[in-house]
Amino acid sequence: MAKQSRRDFLKTSAIIGSAAAGLSSSTKAAPKNVLSEDRMGVLVDTTVCIGCRKCEWACKTAHNLATDPIETYEDRTVFKEQRRPNDKALTVVNEYPNTTSDKFPINVKVQCMHCDKPACVSACIVGAFSKNENGSVIWDGDKCIGCRYCMVACPFQIPAFEFEEALKPDIKKCDFCIERTSKDKLPACVEMCPVEAITYGRREDLLKVAKDRIKNYPHRYVNRIFGEHEVGGTSWLYLSSRQFEEIAFPKLGNDPAPGVSEAIQHGIFAYFVPPVALYALLGGVMWLNKNKKNHETDTEN
Amino acid sequence: MKTKLLIFLFALPLFVFSQNKVEKLHQTQALNCKTCHSCDIPTKENPCIKPCPRERLITIEQTPSDAPSILTIDKMKKTSDIYAPVVFSHRLHAEMADMGGGCRMCHHYNPPGEVVGCADCHELTRKRTDLSKPDLKGAYHQQCMNCHRQWSGKVECESCHAQNGSAKKTESKPKTDLAAKQVHQKVNPPELVKYDTPKANGKIVSFNHTDHVSTFSIDCEKCHSNESCNKCHAKYKPASLANRSVADKHVICANCHNTKANCSDCHKNSVVGSFNHKTRTGFDIAKNHAKLTCNRCHVEKGKFAGLKADCSICHGTWTKENFKHLITGLQLDETHADFECTDCHQDKNYANPTCKNCHEDKTYPKDKPGKLVKKSK
Amino acid sequence: MENHKPTPIEKKYFTPVVIGLAVIALNGMLFLLARFIFGIGAVTNLDNQHPWGIWIGVDVAAGVALAAGGFTTAALGHIMHKDQYHAIIRPALLTAALGYTFVAVSVMIDLGRPYFIWHPLLMWNGSSVLFEVGICVMIYLTVLYIEFLPIITERFIGRVNLPGFLKKFNQSTDKLLRVLDKGLEKTMFIFIIAGVVLSCLHQSSLGTLMVIAGPKMHPLWQTPILPLLFLLSAISVGFPMVIMESLITSRSFNLKPETNILSDLGSMVAPLLGIYLAFKVGDMVIRQTFVYLTEISTASVMFTLEMVLGIVIPLRIFLSRSLSKTPLGLFIASILVVLGVLMNRINNFLVAYTPPYEIHSYFPSFGEISVTLGFVALEVLFFRFFVIQLPIVSVPDTTAPQTKFSIRG
Repeated sequence: MAKQSRRDFLKTSAIIGSAAAGLSSSTKAAPKNVLSEDRMGVLVDTTVCIGCRKCEWACKTAHNLATDPIETYEDRTVFKEQRRPNDKALTVVNEYPNTTSDKFPINVKVQCMHCDKPACVSACIVGAFSKNENGSVIWDGDKCIGCRYCMVACPFQIPAFEFEEALKPDIKKCDFCIERTSKDKLPACVEMCPVEAITYGRREDLLKVAKDRIKNYPHRYVNRIFGEHEVGGTSWLYLSSRQFEEIAFPKLGNDPAPGVSEAIQHGIFAYFVPPVALYALLGGVMWLNKNKKNHETDTEN
Repeated sequence: MKTKLLIFLFALPLFVFSQNKVEKLHQTQALNCKTCHSCDIPTKENPCIKPCPRERLITIEQTPSDAPSILTIDKMKKTSDIYAPVVFSHRLHAEMADMGGGCRMCHHYNPPGEVVGCADCHELTRKRTDLSKPDLKGAYHQQCMNCHRQWSGKVECESCHAQNGSAKKTESKPKTDLAAKQVHQKVNPPELVKYDTPKANGKIVSFNHTDHVSTFSIDCEKCHSNESCNKCHAKYKPASLANRSVADKHVICANCHNTKANCSDCHKNSVVGSFNHKTRTGFDIAKNHAKLTCNRCHVEKGKFAGLKADCSICHGTWTKENFKHLITGLQLDETHADFECTDCHQDKNYANPTCKNCHEDKTYPKDKPGKLVKKSK
Repeated sequence: MENHKPTPIEKKYFTPVVIGLAVIALNGMLFLLARFIFGIGAVTNLDNQHPWGIWIGVDVAAGVALAAGGFTTAALGHIMHKDQYHAIIRPALLTAALGYTFVAVSVMIDLGRPYFIWHPLLMWNGSSVLFEVGICVMIYLTVLYIEFLPIITERFIGRVNLPGFLKKFNQSTDKLLRVLDKGLEKTMFIFIIAGVVLSCLHQSSLGTLMVIAGPKMHPLWQTPILPLLFLLSAISVGFPMVIMESLITSRSFNLKPETNILSDLGSMVAPLLGIYLAFKVGDMVIRQTFVYLTEISTASVMFTLEMVLGIVIPLRIFLSRSLSKTPLGLFIASILVVLGVLMNRINNFLVAYTPPYEIHSYFPSFGEISVTLGFVALEVLFFRFFVIQLPIVSVPDTTAPQTKFSIRG
């Protein structure tokens, strides 16, 4: 260490530098996540939903999850408490009182929102999540290492982890019925819904439909489509007769869900310039100090 | 260029006339073009009709007996379905709807001609390009659940459907018979409804239903729109009036009455009998004006005061030439027939003639200036 | 300078404290076994509301921060060439290497699929903060091992004595060690600088980790300068950690504490802590989050504790000329800084984390605490083992009398 020449130092620094540059170019390549103009979405009209929970049954059936027989879903006592999607149910319906008419409680179906700029996609350490062309945000079980950072990142608290599974736990969340839609079928919940409170279509078209409904029935809806702008837009859109925060939607801004974390991340790693610069700076300081030391010892001798 | 001009010349009258024809039909309804058309100038080729604006359009009313008595809703039936088709007692529902908005309650798009059925507009398949209106299954359920939810508060499928493959399937046949026979009994409207209000001064509001229907000839649906079965069949007590806001309580009355002021017009301390123009205003309409609607005289909407029993306001000035006295049931004798009206009738209401101008010892009605005849028109 | 040379300390391994630690470690390992048989849910209090518990908040986040002594002393000793501190570099290096090893192990056991831990090496996600932290920690761990290698070569060159049939490899192993030693001598500066750079990167990125939680995190902690705060606190906690360890080691091995070097080291803590405090208070003022301190809640109490106990009081002690010259003053101040940073990491990762649909709040289960304590105990046990086996702790020349034994660092 002590007997090292300046030439060695420069040589090795150069190698490290070029290696870092190569590294940065390869991370920039292969943009996997796309935001297609024709991406699909689902419009949930909570003023139409009757809380029959058939979507829950359809979802479980389509995803081969254990489910009670369909008649049991008519039990409305489950609404007494707020439920959340978990590893055993990818979608659930909750109920909130309607202040204007007690006969028409507000039912809200909850599932993954399939964000346009998903926090999970940004966060996942191995890129197991991806935003697909059809708008879906899909989890890849072959990549996942089970770190649960997606759960930390998700602003809607959606990804669920199989905590009881010892060795191969999955992350479970609504997958937009990717298997069904790829076969030109509707998502299971959309197909099942008796009142068509959930409409599947191009996100653009759905926004238009939603805006028309608000325009035609201004007394029926609050003038807002949840998911149009929230966290940078989501594939699932909601209409409601009450303010969304009153029916347990999270209070979120319009900035993309990954927030400033990506900006910070890309700032620190802007083409690997800051780390390489720091490396060079520290190298310089080290070299100067060493020279000073050598000089001192030289003069002493 | 020439041909284009020719075509234009030929097409122009066609275009203009067709427009005129449409306008004539539409003019009878107070319709705004934009209610139905999305573009500024709709043409025959491109009428740009909005999908069901669900506003009050040209609509035809039919009586429940014109409608089919039962319908089996099996258009969406698939072998894999969990539930069996609904046997729908259409006539029964039509009769119930009669108390609300009539056919229009369900057939919200119902132009003249044959009644438009649900499947005529709502597509069978849920995977479709036009997302502006629900598919048939959604449309049916939305329509049904809107009332049924209010009625029972429940949404269970088996209240309408039998489950396929279950024992209940066999019941579908008798259900058809039952549905065919079901009719709603004739609803007897109340004569007078007495409301006890929490108001300190003027506790009682008497609502005379008969007056509103026959005397004021108000259409049922003006008040009874979107009526629910619960109004009569209170399985669950409807929200009590006491719990509603002042504005909510007055919402229907406020259509005609000014509920913000003049509370004492309706809020009295005792029950008020049916409306009598004579006792209420002093002007007896029973004699000569009984058959007129209110607005023949009370022209300005919502304003009833100010006529002051002045015949000339409606009839102009009467003279002996333009008024046939015979019409009142009294044929003037020759002497009196030559007088000007005002010689005897000095009040503006021409009610009580005076004889004092000529005769000192005569009074009306003891003495008459002619002979009584049977009233004629 | 005196002729100080790191040497293995000749003491017996087992003492009552060591046995006590071994019991704690064993208890932790039992729960660890349960985690791999019954799943994470069976051992921990984690659920879908609280995906991360103390295994991440303490073992990983605080573990990384408290192993910062490694890169801060390396920067001081090698890059700034302050030769008087060379003696503390090796103990700090050992702490860092052990610390990061246990960070890696903690990550492994917290992962749902630990056998896929190599995935980030192949499956890159450039926008993921966790990916960056993961890769940095992996490389840094390798760098730490490389930095540690000279200690091994120094100990075994010419003394390779493999047991049993492996005896015939003695010569070739010796040769390998010599080659390594020679190669490393020329290239070590690369690794030292790399170690500092990597540390700066992942210490700060550890702060960026929670930024993505956005509104789920209490505003007292959620700030875009989290990475800077994490880096500053990591740099501040480096020396106090070294001081604390050194004092405990000297006590444990019955050596005389080298108060002079340590208080010199301590004098550098005050400005670092001061900068950290300034940024923390400045951030609070600019974002006007002090309003949350007016209400009594877990968050406000924990934040106040972290600030007062962890920064203000130790800062005052380090600034005091008289107190910072005594071993007790140094020890108390250092341990407060260490606890303060530990608390800060717990606050950031656990206390501040309030998901929108929270039914109950999180408190670690007995099993989680057992495993965490077990790892800490194991770390201490390994430290003692290596100090006895390898030339880590510097003592004056062997010719010096036994009583003059002292450690540096």
